[in-house]
Amino acid sequence: MASLVSIRTPRRLPEIRGCRLRSLSTDDRSLLARAATGDASALEILMTRYSARVFRLAYGITRSAADAEEVAQDVFLQIVHKGAGFEGRAALGSWIYRITTNLSLNKRRGKRRELETSLDDLLPTYLPDGHRAGDRAFLVADWSRTPEHELLSDESRRILEAAIDRLPEHYRAVLVLKDVEELSNEEVAQIVGDTIAAVKTRLHRARMALREQLTRYLGAGA
Amino acid sequence: MTCREAIDVLADYLDGTMPPDVAAELARHLAECAPCLAYLATYRKTRELGTTAARVEMPEEMQVRLRRFLIDRLRAV
Repeated sequence: MASLVSIRTPRRLPEIRGCRLRSLSTDDRSLLARAATGDASALEILMTRYSARVFRLAYGITRSAADAEEVAQDVFLQIVHKGAGFEGRAALGSWIYRITTNLSLNKRRGKRRELETSLDDLLPTYLPDGHRAGDRAFLVADWSRTPEHELLSDESRRILEAAIDRLPEHYRAVLVLKDVEELSNEEVAQIVGDTIAAVKTRLHRARMALREQLTRYLGAGA
Repeated sequence: MTCREAIDVLADYLDGTMPPDVAAELARHLAECAPCLAYLATYRKTRELGTTAARVEMPEEMQVRLRRFLIDRLRAV
């Protein structure tokens, strides 16, 4: 047991995170200015650098390829129209993520809310003394060593996709920015316009909600 | 440390931002709490699976459409 619970500090990736949202360079400034004048080659370079990230985030929030495509179009139009006035107080990548987040959340407004569920039913419950409550077999179910082919089966994947769909969109935004785009809590907070504490809470609750739904499916066989 | 307190700090643990004294408390709790040990393992695996599932790349034909759309809009300006 002792070897299982030794605490090692997981590897951090500050260099990678730092590179992702570097501050505005002369090159970025020049590209934004050229794109604003209708220079297609400058826009091509910006698209090559940022379109994949824009789509991943837009899809992650909207969960719709069609909506994500429209968001990507609007993001690059905003880059063309507003990029020349971008003052560069934040990194260009951070600004683009922020535009993408806002447009994606706007796109979602009023849509598919029926799919989203309260997270409260998916969070751990506790006894008055702070220890976990619930059926013991469920509490100790550890499916993390389930063979990969089962974890990646169509049914597991479907359950996970549905669980992500059911997360409130603000939670999905944080989940994608942090876990997919590998940004720091500080960077995510800056992009979504919230406090670091709120970002950490939302991320943790989102992961716990997904874990709960996977455990209900995978835990039975663990 | 209770289960509630242990689960509250799991994100910091995975981030590597946990102060050493809290890490030591967590280790002591996990050594005696099978449910929290299982929770940590499945929480970590969930993050891994969730990252894979949430990472959806832009299809190539969409990249072509986006490029065409933007070039057309630039020309129209």
